Amino acid sequence: MGGMRVSGVRLVEAEQAPLLARPFYSKGDPGPIVAALAHVPELLEVTMPFLDVALGPSAVDARTKELVILRTSAVMGCRYCTQTHTVVARNTGLSVEEVAALRGEQPLEAAFTDPRELALLRWVEVVAVGPGQVPEATRREARARLEDPELVELTLLVGATLLLNRFCTALELPTSPKVLGRLAAEGWS
Amino acid sequence: MELTAVAEAVRDEVLPGRVWFYANYHCNLACTYCLTESDPRAERRELGSQRMLALAHEAAELGFTALGVTGGEPFLLPYLPELLARLAAILPVVCLSNGTVFTDRRLERLRPLAELPAQIQISLDRPEPDANDAMRGPQNFRKVVEAIPRLVERGVRVRIATTVTSISDEERTRLCELHRRLGVADADHVIRPIVRRGRAVDHGLGVDAGPADLPAELTITTDGAFWSPFGPTVHGGRLDTDLLITRTTTPLRVPAAALLRLVQGRPPGSDSQLNIR
Repeated sequence: MGGMRVSGVRLVEAEQAPLLARPFYSKGDPGPIVAALAHVPELLEVTMPFLDVALGPSAVDARTKELVILRTSAVMGCRYCTQTHTVVARNTGLSVEEVAALRGEQPLEAAFTDPRELALLRWVEVVAVGPGQVPEATRREARARLEDPELVELTLLVGATLLLNRFCTALELPTSPKVLGRLAAEGWS
Repeated sequence: MELTAVAEAVRDEVLPGRVWFYANYHCNLACTYCLTESDPRAERRELGSQRMLALAHEAAELGFTALGVTGGEPFLLPYLPELLARLAAILPVVCLSNGTVFTDRRLERLRPLAELPAQIQISLDRPEPDANDAMRGPQNFRKVVEAIPRLVERGVRVRIATTVTSISDEERTRLCELHRRLGVADADHVIRPIVRRGRAVDHGLGVDAGPADLPAELTITTDGAFWSPFGPTVHGGRLDTDLLITRTTTPLRVPAAALLRLVQGRPPGSDSQLNIR
């Protein structure tokens, strides 16, 4: 895949960045999520700190959070988020087999054996795809393996990822050339 | 909370007291330095009478102290004379105009402004027709010098705004003699530079101006709230967003609070170096 994909919405360039958006451009290209949200700066300035807390470093370890983000994105068929978080997940230390399983390219059980992680992945699947109630067995298993604060945080993380999945897919945000280069080098689509 | 914050900031001169409304974007003229690429074919993007009145009420409640109406040419809007009177009953108002659309009937409808805190600011750039009309279009000078005394004799307070890249002492003297003859006092004449935005960019005119050069006068358009009336400019048919504050304009406290935060984070002392008013 050569060059940048064309976005489904104009991405705000640095010289047109609104005043409240300018801090997000201070270190160069802020990426397409910021450059799209910059059209509505009052949303940008609350959404990005929220996403930083929801997806960034927190009380739950980075590996667990990447399981949620990448699995949700793959299940939802979000090209941007799946590609971007394939690289993040690899950087976080997930194995090639684990990433492939999260992307739906092989069964989860082939790559994951930890009962806590399997319970979480089943929880993610139900929450992300819905609709309706979580089956009682899935709920019991998740609550047995995860503390309430973890379950709350990771459930919100599914929701935050869904928000990004829908946003990036609907607006056809382009995956960064750097990510595309890394994917190509490692044989990912 | 915002009410107190805005009122205090205005009192302390941290925040200018005026809120501007872009009433519309279309104009009967097509000036070479127009910030908004306005002309008769420009998309109107009217803010609307009811919305301006509602915003004016909210501005007063928040603690702003004055209003401004600009465009486009606001007097192309049929409801403008009565709207100005209603706005002036809420807060003192200044309305910018090119001064070329004042028919007898419209002048009569402006008579009530004489009893209200209202001013009409009319553009007049040069003391002679040829030099003035080169940038503002044919017959502009004649229409303006006809309109001003007719407003003045009806008791309407007129300000004259001269927008130029430079002006010689002799030309300035002749211009000031002219505005005095037209009935406009020195205190009501402002000379300011062309700002290099909008059509002025294409003609290589004017000075660059960023937030540090422009007073932070909250400016409301159909596209959102901006840092200054020099913010919501149009270039190449596209709205500039570099001075956008928020897309939200109603309630007004949303952009007002955001502007206040921006102003409070701004280094002091750099405002109005360019006398851009």
